[in-house]
Amino acid sequence: MLLLFEAIVCMRLLFKRRNRIEVLRQMFVGGIKSLAVITVVASFTGMILALQTGIEMRRFGQEVYIGAAVMVSMLREMGPFMTGLILAASVGSSIAAQMGTMVVSEEIAALELMSINPVRFLVMPRLVAMAIMTPFLSFYSCIMGVVGGGIVGMTQLNVPWSAYIDNATRFADNKDLFVGMLKAFLFGIIIVIIACHQGFATTQGAVGVGNATRRTVILSFLTILIVGYMITRLFYV
Amino acid sequence: MIQLENVTKILGERRILDGVNLDVRRGETLFVVGPSGTGKSVTLKHMIRLMTPDEGRVVVDGDVVSEAAGKDLERIRDKFGVLFQGGALLEWLNVGENVALPLREKTKLTEDEIEAKVMEKLTMVGLEKDVEKFPSEISGGMRKRVGLARAIVMDPQIILYDEPTSGLDPVSSRMIDRLIDDLKNELGVTSVVVTHDLHSALSIGTRIAMLTGGKIVELATPGDFVKSQVEEVQQFLESQFITVRGEWEKKGL
Repeated sequence: MLLLFEAIVCMRLLFKRRNRIEVLRQMFVGGIKSLAVITVVASFTGMILALQTGIEMRRFGQEVYIGAAVMVSMLREMGPFMTGLILAASVGSSIAAQMGTMVVSEEIAALELMSINPVRFLVMPRLVAMAIMTPFLSFYSCIMGVVGGGIVGMTQLNVPWSAYIDNATRFADNKDLFVGMLKAFLFGIIIVIIACHQGFATTQGAVGVGNATRRTVILSFLTILIVGYMITRLFYV
Repeated sequence: MIQLENVTKILGERRILDGVNLDVRRGETLFVVGPSGTGKSVTLKHMIRLMTPDEGRVVVDGDVVSEAAGKDLERIRDKFGVLFQGGALLEWLNVGENVALPLREKTKLTEDEIEAKVMEKLTMVGLEKDVEKFPSEISGGMRKRVGLARAIVMDPQIILYDEPTSGLDPVSSRMIDRLIDDLKNELGVTSVVVTHDLHSALSIGTRIAMLTGGKIVELATPGDFVKSQVEEVQQFLESQFITVRGEWEKKGL
């Protein structure tokens, strides 16, 4: 929590051009570079959702409603959840390994000695970048999931694209979108804070870097699950 | 200039430093030598408060660095430049950007002024043509020289060197020695060098401290160091084949 507080305090330094450039660089490294894997995972998640619900609904002749099922599932849960897991495994582990290696090779000590605050220099740009990019990626994953579900609907379940989209947009409301975005925003922050904290706490050389990376992925997964559940409970119960 | 007063440091169950007293004089090049694991780097880290003593204190120019925090610590640290063992260069910045980092982060110099200062320091270490290269593209010796250029770019009063010649070939090692000596002679900086390399210590050191078992067992000029009767010093000299007494004295050291 202290790390998060310090990083938030440092955000006033975003007014400096150099810091803004670093945030943009991190948005590219952490966000844009994850687009490919998110496209594949989200598309197949939507396809699986459509197929599973469609097969059951077809028994009652209601397969036309798979659009609603896919859209609501993706917006509320699967979009932010899948995005969070993918980013924890890719970006979170990468941040932890980088911070850990910097600790081991005395780069963090060198920064401290130059009176360059490592939280401001390293954590803050990553935190801002992921807080912006995770909701964006989550929204993108929802679109991909819905498109994937629509393709399965058309090709496997004989649901016309127009009916699929019509149902998808009719049953989802703004609240679903905003709650999903809120989850994604928090997941982005959680991933960066856990990764940086674990990275900074690295000891014992290469083994320590490996342990920091492993702990980052496990802790991020668990925290994402718990926070996801609590937000769902807060807004939908 | 730097005083370690009865400094004790315990890591785990090991007493790494055991009541170390050491006085670094202004303008000298003090070498701290000794076998691995005897607390040489730990001693260095106490001088800049990357470590805090469990007992005793560290004083730099009248300021108690071991108790300083915030802006006070920053002010004390501004007096130091440190060359870390591996150079501690940021891998995503090129050579020029690494050297410019403290200037960009801590001063209000224009980009032109920064560039001029970076080139001046890189020229001093003989790397003015490698400004665009990244740390992964240069050798270990070059990394250390870039680290040295970064350490001196803010014109510090004191430079700390952590194993500056470890892992380097003899030619590169002597080049680093010459740079350390030039910095002392040209800029008048105070230097503290932690090393295993007795050849460096005897060649360019003003005084040499031998650290063994967490204690300073000898502190002498190079000429007196080779004549020391302390058993640990004799073993250390013999381990590096420095057995011909008097050779170092003939050079007027």
